[in-house]
Amino acid sequence: MAGSLSRRDLGRVGAAIAASAALGPVRANAARKVDVVVIGGGFGGATAARYLKQFAPGLSVVLVEQNRVFHTCPFSNLVLGGLRRLADIAYTYDRLSDRFGVEVVHQRAVALNAANRTVRLADGSDIGFEKAVLSPGVDMRWDALPGYDEAASEEMPHAWKAGPQTALLRRQLEAMADGETVVIAPPANPFRCPPGPYERASLIAHWLKQHRPKSKVLILDAKDGFSKQALFMQAWTRLYPGIVEHVPARDDGRIVNVSASERWVETAFGTRHSGGVINVIPPQWAGAIARDAGLANADGWCPVDPTTFASDLAPDIHVIGDAAIAGQMPKSGFSANSQGKVAAANIVRALAGEAPISGSFANTCYSLVAPDYGISVAKVYRSTPGGIIGIDGSGGLSPMDAGPEVRAHEAAFAEGWYASITGDMFG
Amino acid sequence: MIRNAMAAAGLLVAVASPAAAGDTSKGVILALSCAACHGPDGASPGSIPAIDRLKPSEIEAALKAFRADTRPATVMGRIAKGYSDAEIGLLSGQFGRGR
Repeated sequence: MAGSLSRRDLGRVGAAIAASAALGPVRANAARKVDVVVIGGGFGGATAARYLKQFAPGLSVVLVEQNRVFHTCPFSNLVLGGLRRLADIAYTYDRLSDRFGVEVVHQRAVALNAANRTVRLADGSDIGFEKAVLSPGVDMRWDALPGYDEAASEEMPHAWKAGPQTALLRRQLEAMADGETVVIAPPANPFRCPPGPYERASLIAHWLKQHRPKSKVLILDAKDGFSKQALFMQAWTRLYPGIVEHVPARDDGRIVNVSASERWVETAFGTRHSGGVINVIPPQWAGAIARDAGLANADGWCPVDPTTFASDLAPDIHVIGDAAIAGQMPKSGFSANSQGKVAAANIVRALAGEAPISGSFANTCYSLVAPDYGISVAKVYRSTPGGIIGIDGSGGLSPMDAGPEVRAHEAAFAEGWYASITGDMFG
Repeated sequence: MIRNAMAAAGLLVAVASPAAAGDTSKGVILALSCAACHGPDGASPGSIPAIDRLKPSEIEAALKAFRADTRPATVMGRIAKGYSDAEIGLLSGQFGRGR
């Protein structure tokens, strides 16, 4: 535990450590209690931890995150398209601890006990809490698509969590011969980042056009329609004619069987597709810690209060981000960031004995189709007793009839958004 | 662990108190959404316009113009339509303060 204290803590308590050491070793399971534990340091959790400390610097806030380096899913498609390096989308938690005073514990949280309000870490120690923020993101469902398990994902990467999977898929693209096909197989709803597979197809097509001009991208979709569909398809016609092909479920696009060793995917009507690179994006559900703690419904997602994000099943645990059922909000990094702030504010209010405030939430999702061609969808959301709903008249898509200047503007704004939100998360 | 040991030894004088909540009023909560694009506290580090040095009255006027589609925008027209006059007034007050 000593190693997990931030430098600032160590500076503050430095003189006392020698004295405490004289007391002898502390038992590993001695109950340690803090005000708020945040589990998961992604778009939801990192944001919540920062804003908890910003609102109430006196709170003790521990962020439990197993990885020392976080790779953002947003902009990971730019890595696949050769427009960024993996290092360009990597962040550490140093500023959350040094600037905001969040204590970052780099261990895996293995279990959450809602009744006792404790979280068990991989080293066997427990941390008690008054309130917890649970932002575990998604787990891939290894039971949902025959032939596609964790081992298969080393042959056919999902790359739906950024990091080693992104690097693997990028290496496979670079190793592919000209003329081979890249297969992308997105899942049915709901899943993380609804427009993500189609941005991915676009940016891979952008790279193929320059480096593998005889190759193409084949999207085998478990759905008939998808996010920003008309805008994407218009852009593919303009930029990548004959390079990107989308097969909806109704035209036998849905894959039901996979062979990683023989490198094919099979559709519902028995058509086998092989490819030089096969990117299977499997069905997903809330991260295991949320499901194991009994916070998920039968579908594997977590029902929450639409104002505070307190779990319907454990009111001191606030579930945010992709794992939560957030009404009409999409599962996006922007949504998680927005939810993390509103949850943090309401946790601070609850700990101070104040009533919750119903805020509003926002989501603006940019997709890059090419480096100078961006499209977006936006919406403002409000909490209602029946759930989170989009506000009538707000939001919507980039205009279909826009010219190249507007698309270039939105591409620049996509980069601006990325700079802002990562600064908002990590300080 | 160390903290507990110190507390037991009477060395830790100030224990963090959960009280002392900062400002979490409605205006603050509404304005939180702006940061994801315009940067923390509106101080955008990238290509999206910074709003931290605009006066509240300037932000209010801009949002109402975006909402009415009388000011050109890529996305702000779509965003501004999600807010009432009262909400625009509350969240505008969180920024700039004329610095």
